[in-house]
Amino acid sequence: MNAIAFLLGLLVLAYLGSILVGGRAIRGFGLASGAEYLVLGFVLGPQVLSVVNRPLVETFQPVLLVGVSWLGLVLGVSYLRVGQRRVPVPHIALGVALSALVSACVSVAVFFGASYFSPLPRVEVIALAATAGIVCSETTRHSVRWVVERYGAKGPLADLAADTARASALFAALSFAVVSAWLSGAALQGMSVFERVLVSLGLGVVLGFTATLLLGREFRRDESWGILLGTSLLGTGAAARLNLSPISTTFAMGLTLAIVSPHRLDIKAMVTPTEKPVLLPLLLLAGAYVNVKLPMPLLVLVGVALGAKLLARVSCGALLSLTLKPARGVGLEFGGSMLSCGALGLAVALAFSVRHPGVVADTVLLLASVGVLLGEWLGPGALRRALARAGEIKTEIPAEGAQPTLPSQV
Amino acid sequence: MSGHGGPKKTIATRAIQAASLLVTFGVLYGVTRVTPELETHLGTVTAVGFLLLAGTLMSELLETIGLPHLSGYLLAGIIGGPHILHLVDHHTVTELSPVNTLALSLIALAGGAELRLETLRSVARGLAWATLIQSTFVLACMAGVFLAIARFLPFTQGMNLTALIGVSLLWGVLAVSRSPSACMGILAQTRAKGPVATFSLAFIMLSDVVVVILLALMLMLARPLITSSGSISLEDFTVLGHELLGSIAVGVTLGLGLAIYLRLVGHQLLLVLLAIGFGLSDTFAYIHVDSLLAFLAAGFVVTNLSDQGPKLLHSIEQTGSVVFVVFFATAGAHLDIPLLRKLWPVAVTLCASRALFTVVAGRISSRLAEDPAILKRWGWSSLISQAGLALGLSVVIAKAFPTFGDGFRSLAIAAVALNEMIGPILFKFALDRAGETDRHEPEVRPSLPPAPAE
Repeated sequence: MNAIAFLLGLLVLAYLGSILVGGRAIRGFGLASGAEYLVLGFVLGPQVLSVVNRPLVETFQPVLLVGVSWLGLVLGVSYLRVGQRRVPVPHIALGVALSALVSACVSVAVFFGASYFSPLPRVEVIALAATAGIVCSETTRHSVRWVVERYGAKGPLADLAADTARASALFAALSFAVVSAWLSGAALQGMSVFERVLVSLGLGVVLGFTATLLLGREFRRDESWGILLGTSLLGTGAAARLNLSPISTTFAMGLTLAIVSPHRLDIKAMVTPTEKPVLLPLLLLAGAYVNVKLPMPLLVLVGVALGAKLLARVSCGALLSLTLKPARGVGLEFGGSMLSCGALGLAVALAFSVRHPGVVADTVLLLASVGVLLGEWLGPGALRRALARAGEIKTEIPAEGAQPTLPSQV
Repeated sequence: MSGHGGPKKTIATRAIQAASLLVTFGVLYGVTRVTPELETHLGTVTAVGFLLLAGTLMSELLETIGLPHLSGYLLAGIIGGPHILHLVDHHTVTELSPVNTLALSLIALAGGAELRLETLRSVARGLAWATLIQSTFVLACMAGVFLAIARFLPFTQGMNLTALIGVSLLWGVLAVSRSPSACMGILAQTRAKGPVATFSLAFIMLSDVVVVILLALMLMLARPLITSSGSISLEDFTVLGHELLGSIAVGVTLGLGLAIYLRLVGHQLLLVLLAIGFGLSDTFAYIHVDSLLAFLAAGFVVTNLSDQGPKLLHSIEQTGSVVFVVFFATAGAHLDIPLLRKLWPVAVTLCASRALFTVVAGRISSRLAEDPAILKRWGWSSLISQAGLALGLSVVIAKAFPTFGDGFRSLAIAAVALNEMIGPILFKFALDRAGETDRHEPEVRPSLPPAPAE
């Protein structure tokens, strides 16, 4: 397949993604995380059919880099709100804490597992453990949205699920900035890790402020696209050239816009619909990037990481059921629902694969991909059961074509 | 490209824009100093962001002294490009060619969609005279000027008179090529409406086709003059005929398809335009179809055979607001400043004479066509700009005549660089003076109301 044909294929996927968010299709259509596109990419990729080979996939690295960074911006811009509703600060703190906890559990398990099982050098073991923790720390808000809209859920547990899922992005974005700064190659050699992290996030904050000032007092949609695209691409390119984390930079930029821009709602309304059109081609590319031909110890480590994640999520759920009223009596199901992961975890794994190719990156990407599939299998069902037991949804599945009862939780 | 006019921007706004421009240059300057060696794709991503942001800001700042946005985009590219600050290097500029492909396809589609049959009928007489006079008078005069200064050019040394006449004719063709992109860029910014805008658009789009035919004709005539073994062959015309007819046929089919899509679906036009711009341009090149002509025909069909023209134009305007900035800023980065510095005396002579003969030809054709006074005065103003098409012709000529091709192309690049910078300024000035630019404010609305506190 040549590059143009592949590009057209990606555009078709983006078209499909835009229809899915455009209101023409039934909400809740397809799988919650878009895992089917990941599988499609894998089947078309070099591991199975080789319709899309590795060099061809690699020619799309700029698209990939821009795509994952754009997702970072979208997540940053929409971080503080679910729909028009503000995410309460305690829910943000809870979401971040849960992510950190799960990440720590996975990292520890992978670190000790890798120390015993794998022949990897110490530095690579640490990189693997840290990045594995990051990709397992996210809960995709699409899964929550999918369940909530499909079953018309409404209530404090649905809100808690939506809020903690959204809040989980912060930990992943920040910790990936630290890992990228720690792994940073030739650039910024004279700086400490902390200073590199500051550069990575500071660049995003500066560009976020610049965009805010340029958007000015009045909102002009056409001009805003130029400013947002220009600043985000400049941030992406600059961070990538410095071997830092572009996702973290654009996330910081988006979060700055969400906090300081008077047009935060306009910007959110502008960029959020672009998420699916960007995400679906990325999932396909990620699928094509996945390499399953890894040494057995690394495959075992993937299993160890997933086991640790499952255990950590369920334990978190049990802990929440003891401490939080909305989660009372549904802890295990709620914990299971947080297994759903998607955009950010895969974006981090992809960015890591592009910047630091090798077996460690391949393991992380495989972990993220299998995590998406596992989350798809367990997450939405668990959330549906939790919401049903909490009395926040009707248990019967709505008829085909039925209108959602809640506005979109974009 | 943002619209013309709008609420008056305060000094504070301009100061913020200037500071942001400094931040933009500063960020990239710092990064390029820290990491001078880079992987190609990272340079491309950074360059697109930089050119987009710096181009937009520079255009806003130059607006204060009445210059068109296009000049701002070009200037941002020139300053950031490989010859001044070296923030965007040569390789990156080449890597950005897909953006050019996309922009040119959008420009041609929009150009075709702007050409309404009734408008064309209203300017048909003027258009016919202008095409005839501009294509013959200017070509002949510029060939004469080139012949006169040929002895100062290194690449014509040692040529006999007949060969010089051949080369001069080729320069004449180059001189009658215009810039559809510059014309569309200025019209998109100013939203100009009136006789000068209508005539300029129609003439420049038509001149595209005329120039392609003229080039084939002049190549046929020049070959036996320049090379002793060459002979006149009609084969070029057969090939050209097939290409032109094929392009129009493909364009009409595409236009009908687009009109049906716009009518029945009408959504996600950004992605459709991207698919057309990237996918079809390459396909057209593969099947030897002139993509500019095909897209022009497609836009023309959408506007004149359906009621979907405004929808198509609106989508192109939205997409183009980003793509065109990068396109023109890349063109600025592409300008070969050292070459211009070296060849400027000859380039200035050629550009000045071209401008003079274009004005004279415009006056003659307007008089013959009995055009309205405003067109007699300003009809020539859009014809000075030159850009990608002229450079494309110079590449064709250089390939056809390798013995002097490189020198010829270098001179063409220098002359086009001057016309590219001066032409848009003249055109905007003329539109302003003719009172055709839109003074209405673009759509501005207050921000969405904040959500109530929970």
